[in-house]
Amino acid sequence: MPLSVLVVDDSPIARKMLIRSLPANWDIEITQAGGGAEALAAYRSGKVDVMFLDLTMPEVDGYQVLETLQHEDMNCLVIVVSADIQAEAVERVKAMGAIAFIKKPVDAARVEAVLREYGVIV
Amino acid sequence: MLTDDRKEALQEIANIGMGQAGASIAQVLGEFVQLSIPRILIVPPAEVPTTLARTVEESTVSAVRQAFYSDMRGEALVIFGQHRCNDLADLIGYEADLDHAAEVELLLDLSNILVGACLGGIAEQLNLAIGFSAPSLMADAIPLSRLLQDNPVPWTAALLVEVDFSLEKRSFACNLVILMPEAEIERLMRAVDLFLESL
Repeated sequence: MPLSVLVVDDSPIARKMLIRSLPANWDIEITQAGGGAEALAAYRSGKVDVMFLDLTMPEVDGYQVLETLQHEDMNCLVIVVSADIQAEAVERVKAMGAIAFIKKPVDAARVEAVLREYGVIV
Repeated sequence: MLTDDRKEALQEIANIGMGQAGASIAQVLGEFVQLSIPRILIVPPAEVPTTLARTVEESTVSAVRQAFYSDMRGEALVIFGQHRCNDLADLIGYEADLDHAAEVELLLDLSNILVGACLGGIAEQLNLAIGFSAPSLMADAIPLSRLLQDNPVPWTAALLVEVDFSLEKRSFACNLVILMPEAEIERLMRAVDLFLESL
Protein backbone atom coordinates (compact mmCIF):
# COMPACT_ATOMS: atom_id res chain seq x y z
CA MET A 1 0.00 0.00 0.00
CA PRO A 2 1.39 3.40 -0.90
CA LEU A 3 2.46 5.72 1.93
CA SER A 4 0.58 8.98 2.36
CA VAL A 5 2.84 11.98 1.99
CA LEU A 6 1.64 15.47 2.85
CA VAL A 7 3.54 18.45 1.44
CA VAL A 8 2.88 21.66 3.39
CA ASP A 9 3.99 25.03 2.04
CA ASP A 10 2.17 28.28 1.35
CA SER A 11 4.05 28.59 -1.93
CA PRO A 12 2.81 26.30 -4.74
CA ILE A 13 6.23 26.71 -6.38
CA ALA A 14 7.96 25.47 -3.24
CA ARG A 15 5.62 22.47 -3.13
CA LYS A 16 6.48 21.66 -6.74
CA MET A 17 10.20 22.00 -6.02
CA LEU A 18 9.90 19.60 -3.09
CA ILE A 19 7.77 17.05 -4.94
CA ARG A 20 10.26 17.07 -7.81
CA SER A 21 13.02 16.08 -5.39
CA LEU A 22 11.24 13.03 -3.92
CA PRO A 23 12.67 9.62 -4.87
CA ALA A 24 11.24 8.58 -8.25
CA ASN A 25 10.44 4.98 -7.34
CA TRP A 26 8.91 5.72 -3.95
CA ASP A 27 5.39 4.23 -3.68
CA ILE A 28 3.42 7.18 -2.34
CA GLU A 29 0.24 9.15 -2.61
CA ILE A 30 0.91 12.88 -2.40
CA THR A 31 -1.46 15.41 -0.86
CA GLN A 32 -0.69 19.12 -0.64
CA ALA A 33 -1.62 21.73 1.94
CA GLY A 34 -1.24 25.49 1.45
CA GLY A 35 -1.07 26.30 5.14
CA GLY A 36 -0.80 25.01 8.68
CA ALA A 37 -4.54 24.78 9.33
CA GLU A 38 -5.06 22.72 6.18
CA ALA A 39 -2.13 20.50 7.19
CA LEU A 40 -3.62 19.82 10.61
CA ALA A 41 -6.98 19.01 9.06
CA ALA A 42 -5.32 16.47 6.75
CA TYR A 43 -3.39 15.00 9.69
CA ARG A 44 -6.55 14.67 11.78
CA SER A 45 -8.33 12.86 8.99
CA GLY A 46 -5.72 10.17 9.68
CA LYS A 47 -4.12 10.00 6.29
CA VAL A 48 -0.57 11.25 6.81
CA ASP A 49 2.46 8.98 7.17
CA VAL A 50 5.15 11.48 6.24
CA MET A 51 4.77 15.27 6.38
CA PHE A 52 7.13 17.72 4.67
CA LEU A 53 6.55 20.95 6.57
CA ASP A 54 7.56 24.54 5.73
CA LEU A 55 8.21 26.86 8.69
CA THR A 56 7.53 30.39 7.45
CA MET A 57 3.85 30.54 6.53
CA PRO A 58 1.16 33.16 7.15
CA GLU A 59 -1.43 32.43 9.87
CA VAL A 60 -0.64 28.97 11.23
CA ASP A 61 3.12 28.49 10.68
CA GLY A 62 5.27 25.37 10.84
CA TYR A 63 6.16 25.83 14.51
CA GLN A 64 2.48 25.99 15.43
CA VAL A 65 1.81 22.83 13.42
CA LEU A 66 4.61 21.03 15.28
CA GLU A 67 3.33 22.25 18.62
CA THR A 68 -0.19 21.03 17.88
CA LEU A 69 1.08 17.68 16.64
CA GLN A 70 3.01 17.23 19.88
CA HIS A 71 -0.25 17.57 21.78
CA GLU A 72 -1.92 15.10 19.48
CA ASP A 73 0.60 12.22 19.72
CA MET A 74 2.37 13.03 16.44
CA ASN A 75 1.50 9.84 14.66
CA CYS A 76 3.53 10.68 11.57
CA LEU A 77 7.10 11.51 10.59
CA VAL A 78 7.64 15.24 10.16
CA ILE A 79 10.48 16.52 8.02
CA VAL A 80 10.90 20.28 8.15
CA VAL A 81 11.79 21.93 4.86
CA SER A 82 12.82 25.52 5.31
CA ALA A 83 14.69 28.47 3.89
CA ASP A 84 15.26 29.65 7.45
CA ILE A 85 18.49 27.81 8.20
CA GLN A 86 19.50 29.39 11.51
CA ALA A 87 21.05 26.90 13.89
CA GLU A 88 18.41 27.81 16.44
CA ALA A 89 15.59 27.01 13.99
CA VAL A 90 17.07 23.55 13.47
CA GLU A 91 17.34 22.93 17.21
CA ARG A 92 13.83 24.21 17.86
CA VAL A 93 12.10 21.97 15.35
CA LYS A 94 14.04 18.90 16.43
CA ALA A 95 13.10 19.59 20.04
CA MET A 96 9.51 19.77 18.83
CA GLY A 97 9.65 16.31 17.32
CA ALA A 98 10.67 16.82 13.70
CA ILE A 99 12.92 13.96 12.58
CA ALA A 100 14.96 16.07 10.18
CA PHE A 101 15.57 19.54 8.84
CA ILE A 102 16.13 19.97 5.12
CA LYS A 103 17.16 23.34 3.77
CA LYS A 104 15.76 24.95 0.67
CA PRO A 105 16.47 24.68 -2.22
CA VAL A 106 15.84 21.01 -1.56
CA ASP A 107 18.54 18.56 -2.54
CA ALA A 108 17.08 15.24 -3.72
CA ALA A 109 20.04 13.26 -2.35
CA ARG A 110 19.47 14.75 1.11
CA VAL A 111 15.77 13.81 1.04
CA GLU A 112 16.65 10.26 0.08
CA ALA A 113 19.30 10.03 2.82
CA VAL A 114 16.79 11.13 5.48
CA LEU A 115 14.16 8.67 4.27
CA ARG A 116 16.70 5.85 4.31
CA GLU A 117 17.95 6.79 7.75
CA TYR A 118 14.43 6.38 9.14
CA GLY A 119 13.73 3.22 7.17
CA VAL A 120 10.95 4.89 5.18
CA ILE A 121 12.60 3.65 2.03
CA VAL A 122 15.02 0.75 1.80
CA MET B 1 5.33 41.69 -16.83
CA LEU B 2 5.01 40.25 -13.35
CA THR B 3 2.44 37.49 -13.81
CA ASP B 4 1.25 35.59 -10.74
CA ASP B 5 3.44 32.61 -11.62
CA ARG B 6 6.54 34.75 -12.03
CA LYS B 7 5.84 36.66 -8.85
CA GLU B 8 5.25 33.46 -6.93
CA ALA B 9 8.46 31.94 -8.28
CA LEU B 10 10.57 35.03 -7.55
CA GLN B 11 9.08 35.30 -4.09
CA GLU B 12 10.01 31.72 -3.25
CA ILE B 13 13.45 32.06 -4.80
CA ALA B 14 14.08 35.32 -2.92
CA ASN B 15 12.77 33.66 0.24
CA ILE B 16 15.43 30.96 -0.05
CA GLY B 17 18.10 33.63 -0.51
CA MET B 18 16.83 35.59 2.46
CA GLY B 19 16.99 32.50 4.65
CA GLN B 20 20.72 32.51 4.09
CA ALA B 21 20.86 36.22 4.97
CA GLY B 22 18.87 35.58 8.13
CA ALA B 23 21.28 32.88 9.22
CA SER B 24 24.27 35.16 8.60
CA ILE B 25 22.66 38.06 10.47
CA ALA B 26 21.70 35.80 13.37
CA GLN B 27 25.32 34.78 13.58
CA VAL B 28 26.52 38.42 13.58
CA LEU B 29 23.96 39.50 16.18
CA GLY B 30 23.91 36.33 18.22
CA GLU B 31 20.15 36.34 18.30
CA PHE B 32 17.33 34.44 16.62
CA VAL B 33 15.96 36.34 13.65
CA GLN B 34 12.35 36.11 12.57
CA LEU B 35 12.00 36.27 8.81
CA SER B 36 8.96 37.45 6.91
CA ILE B 37 8.01 36.17 3.49
CA PRO B 38 9.47 38.67 0.99
CA ARG B 39 6.97 40.71 -1.00
CA ILE B 40 7.79 41.49 -4.59
CA LEU B 41 6.51 44.22 -6.90
CA ILE B 42 7.64 45.81 -10.11
CA VAL B 43 7.05 49.55 -10.33
CA PRO B 44 8.12 52.31 -12.71
CA PRO B 45 10.85 54.48 -11.12
CA ALA B 46 8.45 57.43 -10.84
CA GLU B 47 6.39 55.36 -8.44
CA VAL B 48 9.30 54.15 -6.34
CA PRO B 49 9.15 57.09 -3.88
CA THR B 50 5.43 56.69 -3.16
CA THR B 51 5.77 52.92 -2.87
CA LEU B 52 8.66 53.35 -0.46
CA ALA B 53 6.77 55.93 1.57
CA ARG B 54 4.04 53.34 1.98
CA THR B 55 6.33 50.51 3.05
CA VAL B 56 9.12 52.23 4.99
CA GLU B 57 7.59 53.10 8.31
CA GLU B 58 9.98 55.85 9.24
CA SER B 59 10.48 59.26 7.69
CA THR B 60 14.22 59.54 8.33
CA VAL B 61 16.34 56.95 6.65
CA SER B 62 19.86 55.87 5.87
CA ALA B 63 20.57 53.92 2.74
CA VAL B 64 23.28 51.85 1.17
CA ARG B 65 23.66 51.24 -2.56
CA GLN B 66 25.42 48.33 -4.21
CA ALA B 67 25.75 47.66 -7.92
CA PHE B 68 25.59 44.20 -9.42
CA TYR B 69 26.56 43.04 -12.89
CA SER B 70 26.93 40.10 -15.30
CA ASP B 71 23.77 38.13 -16.27
CA MET B 72 21.79 40.35 -13.89
CA ARG B 73 22.59 44.04 -13.99
CA GLY B 74 21.38 46.90 -11.86
CA GLU B 75 21.68 48.44 -8.46
CA ALA B 76 20.37 47.38 -5.08
CA LEU B 77 19.40 49.87 -2.37
CA VAL B 78 19.00 48.86 1.23
CA ILE B 79 16.96 51.39 3.19
CA PHE B 80 17.09 51.51 6.97
CA GLY B 81 14.74 53.53 9.14
CA GLN B 82 16.80 55.77 11.41
CA HIS B 83 15.86 54.76 14.88
CA ARG B 84 16.01 51.15 13.90
CA CYS B 85 19.68 51.69 13.11
CA ASN B 86 20.12 52.91 16.66
CA ASP B 87 18.32 49.86 18.01
CA LEU B 88 20.62 47.71 16.02
CA ALA B 89 23.74 49.42 17.28
CA ASP B 90 22.40 48.98 20.78
CA LEU B 91 21.73 45.34 20.13
CA ILE B 92 25.23 44.49 19.08
CA GLY B 93 26.56 46.13 22.18
CA TYR B 94 27.67 49.57 21.10
CA GLU B 95 27.28 52.38 23.59
CA ALA B 96 24.43 54.86 23.12
CA ASP B 97 26.85 57.29 21.52
CA LEU B 98 27.76 55.08 18.68
CA ASP B 99 30.83 56.10 16.83
CA HIS B 100 29.53 57.23 13.47
CA ALA B 101 32.14 55.36 11.47
CA ALA B 102 31.21 52.16 13.29
CA GLU B 103 27.52 52.71 12.51
CA VAL B 104 28.25 53.17 8.81
CA GLU B 105 30.43 50.07 8.88
CA LEU B 106 27.56 48.10 10.40
CA LEU B 107 25.08 49.29 7.76
CA LEU B 108 27.51 48.41 4.98
CA ASP B 109 28.09 44.94 6.43
CA LEU B 110 24.39 44.22 6.84
CA SER B 111 23.61 45.50 3.35
CA ASN B 112 26.34 43.40 1.86
CA ILE B 113 24.92 40.29 3.56
CA LEU B 114 21.35 41.07 2.46
CA VAL B 115 22.11 41.98 -1.13
CA GLY B 116 24.55 39.11 -1.58
CA ALA B 117 22.15 36.56 -0.12
CA CYS B 118 19.01 37.78 -1.87
CA LEU B 119 20.44 38.50 -5.33
CA GLY B 120 23.07 35.78 -5.11
CA GLY B 121 20.30 33.32 -4.16
CA ILE B 122 18.10 34.42 -7.05
CA ALA B 123 20.97 34.21 -9.55
CA GLU B 124 22.11 30.81 -8.32
CA GLN B 125 18.70 29.23 -8.54
CA LEU B 126 18.06 30.71 -11.98
CA ASN B 127 21.52 29.66 -13.21
CA LEU B 128 22.57 33.25 -13.87
CA ALA B 129 26.02 34.68 -13.22
CA ILE B 130 26.25 37.69 -10.92
CA GLY B 131 29.01 39.87 -9.49
CA PHE B 132 28.85 42.65 -6.92
CA SER B 133 30.59 45.99 -6.46
CA ALA B 134 31.48 47.16 -2.96
CA PRO B 135 28.53 48.75 -1.11
CA SER B 136 28.63 52.47 -0.39
CA LEU B 137 26.66 54.78 1.84
CA MET B 138 24.08 56.63 -0.23
CA ALA B 139 22.17 58.56 2.40
CA ASP B 140 22.90 59.29 6.01
CA ALA B 141 19.87 60.15 8.12
CA ILE B 142 17.95 62.15 5.54
CA PRO B 143 14.19 62.49 4.99
CA LEU B 144 12.87 59.58 2.96
CA SER B 145 11.32 62.01 0.47
CA ARG B 146 14.79 63.32 -0.41
CA LEU B 147 16.38 59.92 -0.90
CA LEU B 148 15.64 59.54 -4.59
CA GLN B 149 15.56 63.28 -5.31
CA ASP B 150 19.15 63.60 -4.20
CA ASN B 151 20.16 60.37 -5.87
CA PRO B 152 18.40 60.06 -9.20
CA VAL B 153 18.49 56.50 -10.43
CA PRO B 154 19.11 55.89 -14.11
CA TRP B 155 17.02 52.73 -14.30
CA THR B 156 13.75 52.46 -16.16
CA ALA B 157 11.98 50.06 -13.85
CA ALA B 158 12.38 48.79 -10.37
CA LEU B 159 11.82 45.40 -8.85
CA LEU B 160 10.95 45.95 -5.24
CA VAL B 161 11.70 43.22 -2.76
CA GLU B 162 10.43 44.08 0.64
CA VAL B 163 11.89 42.09 3.49
CA ASP B 164 11.47 42.38 7.21
CA PHE B 165 13.68 40.94 9.83
CA SER B 166 12.61 41.12 13.38
CA LEU B 167 14.55 40.04 16.37
CA GLU B 168 12.93 38.44 19.35
CA LYS B 169 13.72 41.35 21.65
CA ARG B 170 13.63 44.30 19.28
CA SER B 171 12.27 45.04 15.91
CA PHE B 172 14.54 45.70 13.01
CA ALA B 173 13.27 45.99 9.50
CA CYS B 174 14.79 47.15 6.30
CA ASN B 175 13.71 47.43 2.71
CA LEU B 176 15.62 46.09 -0.20
CA VAL B 177 14.97 47.79 -3.53
CA ILE B 178 16.40 46.27 -6.66
CA LEU B 179 16.63 48.71 -9.55
CA MET B 180 17.15 47.34 -13.02
CA PRO B 181 16.73 48.58 -16.57
CA GLU B 182 13.53 47.31 -18.13
CA ALA B 183 15.38 45.11 -20.63
CA GLU B 184 17.23 43.49 -17.73
CA ILE B 185 14.00 42.80 -15.89
CA GLU B 186 12.68 41.13 -19.05
CA ARG B 187 15.79 38.98 -19.19
CA LEU B 188 15.29 38.03 -15.55
CA MET B 189 11.65 37.12 -16.31
CA ARG B 190 12.76 34.83 -19.13
CA ALA B 191 15.06 33.06 -16.68
CA VAL B 192 12.11 32.76 -14.26
CA ASP B 193 10.01 31.24 -17.06
CA LEU B 194 12.71 28.66 -17.76
CA PHE B 195 12.82 27.83 -14.06
CA LEU B 196 9.03 27.41 -13.99
CA GLU B 197 9.13 25.14 -17.04
CA SER B 198 11.71 22.96 -15.30
CA LEU B 199 9.33 22.20 -12.41
